[in-house]
Amino acid sequence: MTSFNAHLATLRAHFKIIFTYRGMMLIQAVRLLLLPLVLAAAWLSIQKTAENPYSDADYLLYYLLVPVILNLTDSRLVFRFPMAVRDGSLSRELLKPFPPLSGYALESIANNLIQLIYLLPFTLLAGYAISDRLQLGHLNLQLLLYMLLAIVLGGLVRMLISGSISLVGFWLEDVTTLNLILNGGIWALLGGMIVPVATFPQHIRCIAEMLPYRYMLSFPIEIVTGRLSQAQILQGFAVTIFWSLLFALIMRLIWKRGLKVYAAYGG
Amino acid sequence: MTQTINEVAIVTRQLSRSFSIRQKSEGLAASLRNFFSPVYKTVNAVCDLEMSIGRGEIIGFLGPNGAGKTTTLKMLSGLLVPSGGSIEVLGFTPFNRDHDFLKSISLVMGQKQNLWWDLPPVETFEIHRRIYGLSDEQYRTRIDELVEMLEISDCLETQTRKLSLGQRMRCELAVSLLHQPSILFLDEPTIGLDILMQKKIRSFLLDYHRRFKPTILLTSHYMDDVAALAQRVIVINYGRKIFDGRLRDLTDRMRPEKIMTVIINNGEFPCQLRDGCRLIHQEGQLYRFLVRREVVGELAACLYNTGQIADLTIEDAPLEEIIGQLFTDNGAAAASAPAKTP
Ligand SMILES: Nc1ncnc2c1ncn2[C@@H]1O[C@H](COP(=O)(O)OP(=O)(O)OP(=O)(O)O)[C@@H](O)[C@H]1O
Ligand SMILES: [Mg+2]
Repeated sequence: MTSFNAHLATLRAHFKIIFTYRGMMLIQAVRLLLLPLVLAAAWLSIQKTAENPYSDADYLLYYLLVPVILNLTDSRLVFRFPMAVRDGSLSRELLKPFPPLSGYALESIANNLIQLIYLLPFTLLAGYAISDRLQLGHLNLQLLLYMLLAIVLGGLVRMLISGSISLVGFWLEDVTTLNLILNGGIWALLGGMIVPVATFPQHIRCIAEMLPYRYMLSFPIEIVTGRLSQAQILQGFAVTIFWSLLFALIMRLIWKRGLKVYAAYGG
Repeated sequence: MTQTINEVAIVTRQLSRSFSIRQKSEGLAASLRNFFSPVYKTVNAVCDLEMSIGRGEIIGFLGPNGAGKTTTLKMLSGLLVPSGGSIEVLGFTPFNRDHDFLKSISLVMGQKQNLWWDLPPVETFEIHRRIYGLSDEQYRTRIDELVEMLEISDCLETQTRKLSLGQRMRCELAVSLLHQPSILFLDEPTIGLDILMQKKIRSFLLDYHRRFKPTILLTSHYMDDVAALAQRVIVINYGRKIFDGRLRDLTDRMRPEKIMTVIINNGEFPCQLRDGCRLIHQEGQLYRFLVRREVVGELAACLYNTGQIADLTIEDAPLEEIIGQLFTDNGAAAASAPAKTP
């Protein structure tokens, strides 16, 4: 209970701070919206092959939702944590009876939630503008709940993976390059940012479905398109949970070793 | 002062910490070689430090820049893992960072802020109240007390980054004390503050200690802080302990002389100088002597009897000087030698 209240208070504090830096959010929103817009336009303009299961309506819905999901599962740990090691501000977190990484995770979550203020109006507006080209007849409450759960789990697994990479910051001054190699690049491809996973060739899709990346972006949207069976959805949850547990374990191991090399700079 | 085991708050045995620092090299060829097979140098920041601190004691932890004070405090508070030896703080091993251990300590570093930079201090208080699980009543009474003692009622609602250093430092102290830690590590709490503010912080700490009796381990380069607060001092240099005891004993041992300044009415100096008195300064009617403690009384009495003195002061050599002397090699030998009995 104490811990829950402390987390809540920390989250609230981050909300307040982010509101004082509103300008940044707008720039970030534009960045998030730009790429999917371009991609959607590109996919609509090329000829589709026979085995491609996605119709124009599917593509539109997909890229309409990409910015929102992308944002909701975003994690800033890779930037935030190595910085805290470098400037020694991790020390003050370590001194409190509060899990040190929670603060950084909550900062990230607060940021993602507030970003919705910019993203949702745009998404709704754009959705309204192209509403005659979207197909939403199949949507029901159950699908939406599945989607929500998928977003939460996707955010969790992304947080844990980028968290594991960020902890390498105990040894390296900067982990963004490492993140780009291990996480970012593969993620953009296999997560469905550029090409929806459902339209991958069969064998690549099989691989993508076993890796964690799909679950950070594509999976929640695939649920909304209504093209996944109940079994496929549940299987997706299982895969996400498996990766989450694995990376939680990895993170724990790195954390224990990292603390021993932590130099607590400053003072 | 004898103590039973359960009154001991902090014990270290052969506590050591070394850092390996990568050597920089000059020139491209050497840099390249260094890149592929780096050369490391080991710095022994703390060496075989033995200390035992009782509950409720205030210890002045002294040493020149780079002596290893901050490194020791970081190990005692669980931030750094020791490279050798052991520590027990309230029965806990600090580096394990047990929940209950963290709840009973506080580390205040001069420049490190616990306060959230972008929020007013009162918001940080609220967060800490939840992190430390304080009840509404506890929170209210403690905040009221601290705000009153530190005189910070008008800073509470101002964004932290807009506060002056002195205001921030006092709010910083308030945050660190909100959970009423039983051990308080203070690393240069008065650094950069003006004399008046230093005094305020000192008298606050004294007052706070009188009320709540926390164990305090304090480092400071301002000897006034140490003289006002510390009952006992531990002095380290190059990571090794060179003195542990009462400040009084340290000054007696290092400086067995007093400084006596006399202004006489007119004429020649009226008293015969004997062994143990040395004139170090004269300007007109003002004479300044270095006088061994045991002859101070005699000289003063003689002067008094002549009826010639306009003014007479007797004082210790400045603490700064005594401590400074300690950090020379001769000084260190003198401090660790057994005390001369007069
Ligand atoms: N993280 C670190 N990495 C490498 N060397 C370090 C590190 N921290 C401290 N040192 C070295 O250890 C020695 C002791 O440093 P420390 O900060 O404990 O001194 P200090 O007594 O607090 O000095 P000051 O009075 O200047 O604050 C110094 O030589 C310092 O350079
Ligand atoms: Mg220091």
